Amino acid sequence: MDIRVLHPSDIPHVQQTNITNLPENYFCKYYLYHALSWPQLSYVAVDVSRPKKTPYDAPKIVGYVLAKMEEDPADGVQHGHITSLSVMRTHRRLGLAEKLMRQSQRAMFETYGAVYVSLHVRVSNVAARSLYEDTLGFKNNGTEEKYYADGEDAFSMRKELDYLREEALDDESDEEGGTIGQDEGAEVGSAGKAGDGADGEKKKERKRKVKVGRGLGVGELVERNESAPQTNGTS
Amino acid sequence: MATNQQLPSKEQTLFRHVVQSYESKQYKKGIKSADQILKKHPNHGETQAMKALIMSSQNKSEEAFELCKVALKNAMKSQVCWHVYGLLYRGQRNYEEALKAYRFALRLDPDSSQIQRDLAMLQVQMRDYAGYVQTRRTILQARPSSRQNWTALAIGLQLSGDLEGAEDVLHRFEETLREPPNRKDIEHAEAVLYQNTIIAERGDYERALEHVNSVLKAALDKTAVMEMQAEYLLKLDRKEDAVKAYTKLLKRNAERRDYYDGLEKASSLDRSKSEDHEKLGQLYHGWAEQSQRSDAPRRIPLDFKSGGAFREHADKYLRRMFKKGVPSTFANMKQLYADQAKKETICELVESYLSDGGAEKHESETNGPTNGSNPSKNSKMDPATTWQLSVNYFLAQHYDYHLSRNLSKARKYIDRAIELNPSKTDYTYHMTRARIHKHAGNVVEASKAMNEAREMDLKDRYINTKCAKYQLRNHQNTDAVNTMGLFTRKEAVGGPLGDLVDMQCVWFITEDGESYLRQNDLALALKRFKTVYDIFVAWEEDQFDFHSFSLRKGMIRTYVDMIRWEDRLREHPFFTRAALSAIRIYCLLFDRPALVEGGAKPNGSSAENAAEKKKAAKKAKKDAEKAEAEKKLALAKKANPKAADEEETAKKEDKDPMGLELLKSTGEKPLEEAMKYLTPLLELSPNNIEGQIAGFEVFIRRRKYLPALKCLLATRRLAPDHPQAHYQSLRFRRALEEDKTPLDPHVSAVIQENFISQIADPEKSLETLNEEFLFAHWHSARHVQAGVRLLELLHPELEPAKGKATNHLQQTVGEKGTTIEDAVEGLRVLRELEGSREGRVEYLRIARERWPEASVLRDL
Ligand SMILES: CC(C)(COP(=O)(O)OP(=O)(O)OC[C@H]1O[C@@H](n2cnc3c(N)ncnc32)[C@H](O)[C@@H]1OP(=O)(O)O)[C@@H](O)C(=O)NCCC(=O)NCCS
Repeated sequence: MDIRVLHPSDIPHVQQTNITNLPENYFCKYYLYHALSWPQLSYVAVDVSRPKKTPYDAPKIVGYVLAKMEEDPADGVQHGHITSLSVMRTHRRLGLAEKLMRQSQRAMFETYGAVYVSLHVRVSNVAARSLYEDTLGFKNNGTEEKYYADGEDAFSMRKELDYLREEALDDESDEEGGTIGQDEGAEVGSAGKAGDGADGEKKKERKRKVKVGRGLGVGELVERNESAPQTNGTS
Repeated sequence: MATNQQLPSKEQTLFRHVVQSYESKQYKKGIKSADQILKKHPNHGETQAMKALIMSSQNKSEEAFELCKVALKNAMKSQVCWHVYGLLYRGQRNYEEALKAYRFALRLDPDSSQIQRDLAMLQVQMRDYAGYVQTRRTILQARPSSRQNWTALAIGLQLSGDLEGAEDVLHRFEETLREPPNRKDIEHAEAVLYQNTIIAERGDYERALEHVNSVLKAALDKTAVMEMQAEYLLKLDRKEDAVKAYTKLLKRNAERRDYYDGLEKASSLDRSKSEDHEKLGQLYHGWAEQSQRSDAPRRIPLDFKSGGAFREHADKYLRRMFKKGVPSTFANMKQLYADQAKKETICELVESYLSDGGAEKHESETNGPTNGSNPSKNSKMDPATTWQLSVNYFLAQHYDYHLSRNLSKARKYIDRAIELNPSKTDYTYHMTRARIHKHAGNVVEASKAMNEAREMDLKDRYINTKCAKYQLRNHQNTDAVNTMGLFTRKEAVGGPLGDLVDMQCVWFITEDGESYLRQNDLALALKRFKTVYDIFVAWEEDQFDFHSFSLRKGMIRTYVDMIRWEDRLREHPFFTRAALSAIRIYCLLFDRPALVEGGAKPNGSSAENAAEKKKAAKKAKKDAEKAEAEKKLALAKKANPKAADEEETAKKEDKDPMGLELLKSTGEKPLEEAMKYLTPLLELSPNNIEGQIAGFEVFIRRRKYLPALKCLLATRRLAPDHPQAHYQSLRFRRALEEDKTPLDPHVSAVIQENFISQIADPEKSLETLNEEFLFAHWHSARHVQAGVRLLELLHPELEPAKGKATNHLQQTVGEKGTTIEDAVEGLRVLRELEGSREGRVEYLRIARERWPEASVLRDL
């Protein structure tokens, strides 16, 4: 098994893995939207030991985590969100989900200064809850009633990411003058503070109005129109 | 907006409302305002154009076009009208016409940055990089203060191959920055890394390394910069530093294969050299020690170790997995089965575990003192049961796998595993039992067994999915849709299938199509493959919005990745699989045009056909009724204001649920349709032999001898002994001999040089060549089938030839190497021969004797 960042070319198989395992599904463009907005955050698990059938076999994705940054955080705190996570039945209990989640969390912290990561989980999903609560240390933050299309409730969970700051500091002291330099500690430290550091990004983000996802009631994606005269960027 | 038709100020305000309503997607409001203007100024072109644009967003594209044409008549000189005209064409993916319209608009208003940008998007979508670069230069000149405009130009240059130019543009932008951007500026951070990828693409790793080192600290995408650094160090042969770099990366992600590869290379270790194995073993051992939870450093050594070292390592590895009860162990091992010795070792080891309490024995070896995790913490199983269950399960999969197949043993082990399984909801073992049935050719039992597995855990979509797939393999198409429907959106238009199409569930649509094809329902089969084709069109179209979105977001590296992926989109096996089936159907329709009429089925006697037709008609009626009911239901839902827009529903409603219209309309020009599927196949997957074989079939029917020959030569190059290499060679020669129209001398010369003098063997008759071929490949079912097809081609009317062909096919059933799939294919050939019924009965008798359980051996 190989754990690596998701590439756009992985999307057909990620989509297949998703619709095989979960009732919340999305069209290709929604995956593209994640991959092209926050390319550092989504990861896949690839079965590298599958014998090839043709010279054009696409990497066989057996697990993925699809993640994003919250675009307009209601609490004003920069944070990540797990849109979807699943692993093929044939490859469960290998630690894949855990590893996918850990990679994604670190990228949220390093690249976007995420203070915490949030997600929703079905109250009845024993495996996922055990993964989040016991293995990864998420805390239950309350119930959202009838969150899922079939009427089931969701637990809204979150995990603080400040442990990553400590880890980064530890790494540095191990490294005696390594390339992950000292001034980074300060940088990361300030990024860890709520609200701080997010401002620069926020300004740029005002342009997009995006309504997405099946769980939220399928919407059209990347709503923009080409002929609007004033939509171009920050200029 | 410059306009030659000035409106009074009240209407001007209204006009602005129209534009705003369009932009905010308030279409009804927009139409209303437009109508208000048009009431007073019925010929106001620009209002008509805006109204048309809104209508096209409401999926009334025909009316929109009509109206826009009127608008243009009224305002030939309005750039708004031309712009809209272009947007309408764009929406229909008629890029050429859209381009022309934009150009007109630009002639009228050369400085419109909006039209420029729309033009640019079109150009990059069409991969007209030269045009894109030119347009982006114009935009940049007008607005050099925006980073996006520089970046866009650089992208254009990069994609058109001018890496130097691209780098230069990015560099020049940097120079315009008066103060360094904020370190948290992700757009800037990404731009820097984008620049780095261009330097690397130029092959200048020295400079790329220097550059990446200079930004390492500030980089926000840490993983990426560390990977870049490691890669360049390795490329520059700075091994010591590369070792350090890969070591750091592995500490962050110990499950990344590329890092291990890099580390091996940087350490000058080579798996193909046995003298390096010791050191490699140590290297991986070291990484395994670091984490109890990582698999890669434990699994990788099995790839290079051999003999006693392999046995020892495999023993440790397997024991560890079985103790924990990891169900994916076999999936993780089967790649090793390509090596006969490894396969045998694994089998011996695991069989020995049956009588080996196992679990405790190697405790001290497998679990270092660092092991804090209790493997069975979440399961109620005692260690001995976990062990026995894992071992039996592995052996069941081992004996089910095609390289080590012994289905009665597989069955024995899976039954044992099922007995041991204490859980009422863990369907893993039942699922494998179903799979074993499938491999015995018994799709009826397989489907039943998979449904039993599904019923063990009704909340689990994975097993639900599997069950639907097995139902399709057993011709239970309706059941399969209903099974899938347990997890699709209830409110979806068109029921579960509608939702699956919406959600682009390619695997189901393809399997459903293949299932219909097996049942000779060409109309529905085609319909499904066409749906897959359309999904790929949608995926191609999906990139469009990102041409501007990504510039705003600033994630350029991944955008370029996407462009390159989209360039090769149809290389994906999902496309190839559907395309091959569609091509097969179109060739069949060409050979038997009667099939198009009334959707008749191929094969079988006419009596059978009549019965089938009746059945199909009944089914069609039922389906139509069902569709009608669904429509009503959907309409009822629509009464609810929250439900989807009317237009939305209208768009999604399937007017041809049985595919009969599709069969009729495309069946009239089957080879033209086949080309739509074939062209991407040959272009993007030239080394896929099935594609080349299909290509020959299409071109030979079109009498395109050179393209046919090209495919034939490719097939012969990819697999000289492939049965189709023989079949198509003879077929080609025969086609040439039969075609009385003189060939173009150039074509003739090419054929002479590449075929006649190399392959054709013109001294011998086709009959002789085929006899020789059959004689030489007597034991291979697929070769005999190819030879038999030729017999039929050479003597279509001769009964004795048919009898001979039938005998040949019957004989293949008993051959040792013949598989169930081969036998099914033989049956298909036999049917196409249209020989005696007794011949087929006898064939089936022999086959059933050999595979008594195989329900796939049924005479349709
Ligand atoms: C939830 C899911 C992603 C877990 O994937 P996975 O790769 O098997 O999980 P991991 O192997 O990384 O498990 C890590 C830990 O999570 C816990 N866990 C995982 N599956 C569990 C299960 N079935 N029961 C109890 N605990 C479980 C365990 O503590 C496990 O550690 P351990 O194996 O050392 O005991 C997977 O079961 C899945 O895809 N389910 C269907 C889709 C889904 O529910 N997704 C989550 C939506 S929010």
